[in-house]
Amino acid sequence: MNSLWRIVLLSLLCSIPALDLGWRFYHFDLGANPVETLQHTTGDWALYFLLATLSITPINNLLRPRWSNFLAMHLTRRVLGLSAFCYAVLHLLAYWFFDLELSLPLLVEDVLERPFILMGMLALILLIPLAMTSTAAWQRRLRQRWQSLHKLVYPITLLAIIHYVMLVKADLFQPLLMLLIFSVLMLLRNKSLLKNLSQR
Amino acid sequence: MPFKHLTNTKLSENQVTDESLYINRRQLIKSALTVGLFASSSPVWALQFTRNNQYSANLALTDPEHALKYNNFYELGTDKSDPYRYADRLKTDGWTVEVTGECLKPQTFNMDDLYQFTQEERIYRFRCVEGWSMVVPWIGFPLAKLLKQVEPTSKAKYVEFVSIYDPKNLPGQEYRVLDWPYREGLRMDEAMHPLTLMATGIYGKELPNQNGAPIRLVVPWKYGFKSSKSIVQIRLVEKQPTSSWMAATPSEYGFYSNVNPNVAHPRWSQAKERPLGSFFRKPTLIFNGYADQVAQLYTGMDLKKYF
Repeated sequence: MNSLWRIVLLSLLCSIPALDLGWRFYHFDLGANPVETLQHTTGDWALYFLLATLSITPINNLLRPRWSNFLAMHLTRRVLGLSAFCYAVLHLLAYWFFDLELSLPLLVEDVLERPFILMGMLALILLIPLAMTSTAAWQRRLRQRWQSLHKLVYPITLLAIIHYVMLVKADLFQPLLMLLIFSVLMLLRNKSLLKNLSQR
Repeated sequence: MPFKHLTNTKLSENQVTDESLYINRRQLIKSALTVGLFASSSPVWALQFTRNNQYSANLALTDPEHALKYNNFYELGTDKSDPYRYADRLKTDGWTVEVTGECLKPQTFNMDDLYQFTQEERIYRFRCVEGWSMVVPWIGFPLAKLLKQVEPTSKAKYVEFVSIYDPKNLPGQEYRVLDWPYREGLRMDEAMHPLTLMATGIYGKELPNQNGAPIRLVVPWKYGFKSSKSIVQIRLVEKQPTSSWMAATPSEYGFYSNVNPNVAHPRWSQAKERPLGSFFRKPTLIFNGYADQVAQLYTGMDLKKYF
């Protein structure tokens, strides 16, 4: 299977939640609070895809080398990262359009007045350069710097989780679970820890 | 024909502008029944009630599909869909409400006793602190009637409401999301206010479990969490009680919690609300539209300080 087909197939897979939302939107089947459904679902998926993006390297390290070529990890990671970006944009639009009716002054006011919105906004803004430089051409052009630029995904994911923690009313279970998964994925990037794991 | 009382009621709701939200009442109740939204172990007799037209504002009712399936009832779980999903985990047989504290005739009421009060239907606005709202036809009786029966003393300055504590059955009470049992409170004059309702039914039937069966409080000018569900005890007390939400996050949830578009929640604005079933928001009214009836309770009080 050549790489283009892989990308197309994986992209289609990743767009299932969005297509499902679109379908339910069209059929007026988003529940009692349709906007909340749109906002929460897109936000959840943006975070899921960020965590999925971050799990590629650990999986690669743990399964090496048999599977990583077969799974074309770099392509998979690119699609997952771009999916995270797309869901984050949808998430912003669901909020900006339905809550603020696309008013720019209200958006600025919200970002300045409400710390949790600021956190989410920062995460989204930082995702933009990563999405723009996600192609192979950019990878070649930036060489060493591409690596360090794309390490921004760590603080981005943390900001997104903080955004989630800050908006919850009382039940912190979900966002803290995300934080736990994030921490594990970060620890699995630690070379010496990985050595110990693989020597067992 | 359990809904005889609903025939020939000329409705004013259809005069409202939002046609899409308007469904006639008989259809509403029929659809609610056919969908089986009332999955509670309700008694065999139908709740007898009369409509109180004084409290039937010209408002479009919320589709019961929304009002009965989208709930905050943390005892059954923190997700909006949990209360409906786990409704059968709330055990209501042999329910009693103990009214006690600073009063001359403390008394424990069973549901039969409480059905002795004249049950009336009232259509109220309901505004959640999270920014969504609905318009619901409650059935119930003024709390004042119940309190007068136990003869409060001059020491009774506040009323505290305690909800069910049953961790063996209630899935949400396995976790200390809030300090169980759920507690709420009102100042005595708020509790005695004619708008303050003890609700036993909704949409023409007994309360389904997910909406706080068999009896709950409804305070329409305050945010929804003040309207305790599944109440087992009402205490007349001298000092201002601390509600569960005050204990959890004192900076965000105050004792008064009056609906007020000019006082923002620390994390979001309260200026607008989204009616269930609609995509866009509309302005929130001060005291949820009941200012002419309740504003005098707060004369001279700084509503930002006493939020």
